[in-house]
Amino acid sequence: MFEWKKRGLLFDPTGVSGRDWLKEFAQAPATLIFDDFVRVYFSCRPPADANGQYVSYSAYVDLNRNNLFDIIGVAERPFLELGDSGTFDEFGTYPVSVIRDGADVLAYYAGWTRCESVPFNVAIGMARSTDGGVTFSRCGPGPVLPYSQDEPFVLSGPKIRRFGGRWYLWYIAGRKWKMAAGRAEPVYKIRMASSEDGVNWNRRGRDLIESRIEADEAQASPDVFYSDGRYHMFFCYRYSTDFRGKAKGYRIGYAHSDDMETWVREDSLAGIEVSESGWDSEMLSYPHVFALDGRTYMLYLGNAVGKRGFGLAELQGRLA
Amino acid sequence: MKWRKAGRIFDPREHQLPNGCVEFAQSPQTLVFDDFVRVYFSTRQRDDTTGKYLSHVAFVDFDKDLRRIRRVSGQTVLPLGGLGSFDEHGIFPINPLRHDGRVMAYTCGWSRRVSVSVETGIGRVVSDDDGETFYRQGLGGPVLGASLQEPFLVGDPFVRVFEGRFHMWYMFGTRWKQYEDADVPERIYKIGHAVSDDGLQWEKQEGEAIVGDRLGGDESQALPTVIAFGGRYHMYFCYRHSSDFRSNQDRGYRIGHAHSGDLLHWTRDDGDSGIDLSPQGWDSQMMCYPHVFTCNEKIYMLYNGNAFGREGFGLAVLE
Repeated sequence: MFEWKKRGLLFDPTGVSGRDWLKEFAQAPATLIFDDFVRVYFSCRPPADANGQYVSYSAYVDLNRNNLFDIIGVAERPFLELGDSGTFDEFGTYPVSVIRDGADVLAYYAGWTRCESVPFNVAIGMARSTDGGVTFSRCGPGPVLPYSQDEPFVLSGPKIRRFGGRWYLWYIAGRKWKMAAGRAEPVYKIRMASSEDGVNWNRRGRDLIESRIEADEAQASPDVFYSDGRYHMFFCYRYSTDFRGKAKGYRIGYAHSDDMETWVREDSLAGIEVSESGWDSEMLSYPHVFALDGRTYMLYLGNAVGKRGFGLAELQGRLA
Repeated sequence: MKWRKAGRIFDPREHQLPNGCVEFAQSPQTLVFDDFVRVYFSTRQRDDTTGKYLSHVAFVDFDKDLRRIRRVSGQTVLPLGGLGSFDEHGIFPINPLRHDGRVMAYTCGWSRRVSVSVETGIGRVVSDDDGETFYRQGLGGPVLGASLQEPFLVGDPFVRVFEGRFHMWYMFGTRWKQYEDADVPERIYKIGHAVSDDGLQWEKQEGEAIVGDRLGGDESQALPTVIAFGGRYHMYFCYRHSSDFRSNQDRGYRIGHAHSGDLLHWTRDDGDSGIDLSPQGWDSQMMCYPHVFTCNEKIYMLYNGNAFGREGFGLAVLE
């Protein structure tokens, strides 16, 4: 079992002022490492509207590379404005995953639209930054990964990686909507696609990670990290209904693979669980693993899926 | 080119339709059998929960002269998609074809949105009973939908194998526009093209409107149908202004035409379509949703008239 030493809540969005689009939530952290700081992208929300509905934006916080708890800056604006009328990302851009592409930074993000019969649909978009990840512009007004026969709706949670000169995108795909307590909830599973150019994607069209707690288990945040000759995936999973509390809420799972195609799920190795008390005592979700100066860290969300921000854990030893 | 009108050949109000549908027979499209012609169309059921419509697929079988009706489908041809699916609130239109001895169809599925009225996508369904019923494959998602440069409203598929490859002509949305005198945003869409080796994996001419505009940038173009005759390919489609087009007959749908020698480059020449509004009657205010096909060595066009096909469809024969 891996041993993660929790270092505590790192960023609390409710303490940020002067940004009406950043009131609460700091979800789905994703890092971009610079010479002297670490930029962490996350997704946040202004207050809910009169109908109780949220939109979501994504932005970043810069951390001192020598002391990650030293916050040296917060984005002045969201990384993208919301999409135009009728587009897939009109009501939210969450989550976002970033990667360097030469001197540019590419972002793959999930865009949210609102539907009549179910509350929302989600699709994956692409944006490019030419100023080091401060501002981005869309590569097009539509999504980069279309729906398909086997992935009919709710394509979300992109994680962009590059291995061996090839682009890989891990994401989740909805497979059904389930009615529970008068509310439609999507069931989604972890999927993968690869690409030569980052634009045209060849998808595997199958669930990568077997379900463990129930057939309709929802899986999210497939964060893949290569270390010691093996691919490691930390992700989160929860029950399909009644998941907004501790008992059936998100936990962090783990799988490994030698070839990125076949994955062996071994949650018992994940090595990180809810705390006895405090900000991460009810649920753990949206893990993101990164290496920095010889150490391996995980950023993750706690209770209420990041309403009060994200925290940091440090691996004792290495991923092998 | 000259089309001789044979008049309206199907009025949905005169028939018992499946799914409790009472009006509309939109976008007629054919599957020609040895001794009859099956015409699929979309008809409408009132959704009691919202007061809005649900579009369902039905068909009517004609003798091969397209005069005598043999029967109307008595059961559901293709059920609507499940909760949250792209085709949950309607299938309109359906484009049937035979390939390798199998009957299949491409569909345009509709699902409702909140900020705009609707989103569409293109599905593919197959039939094991010669087109009496169709079913979905996989998890029932679309085979063609929104992409980077075609952000929404991908629909109206027309698929044929030409020169050894699957070709699809379809529409894609370019903008939802709020006009000053309108209550809600209106859509603008253009005709696009994609090719495929297997009919499932499609390669778009991404974001390219392949037929030029006649009414300016706010022209909407829909429902392409393509046929080869006279040594070239002919495309018929319908086009209209994107605002005030429902009741102002000067701004409503007309039938356009373009021709091509290579399936890629199209020259628009609506003046050569050879068909226009009648002075009076069922197709005197609007003409839309053309479908061109060959039967008994004649070339026919099915189309809808006034009110988007509320009162059925008619036929014309190429002279």
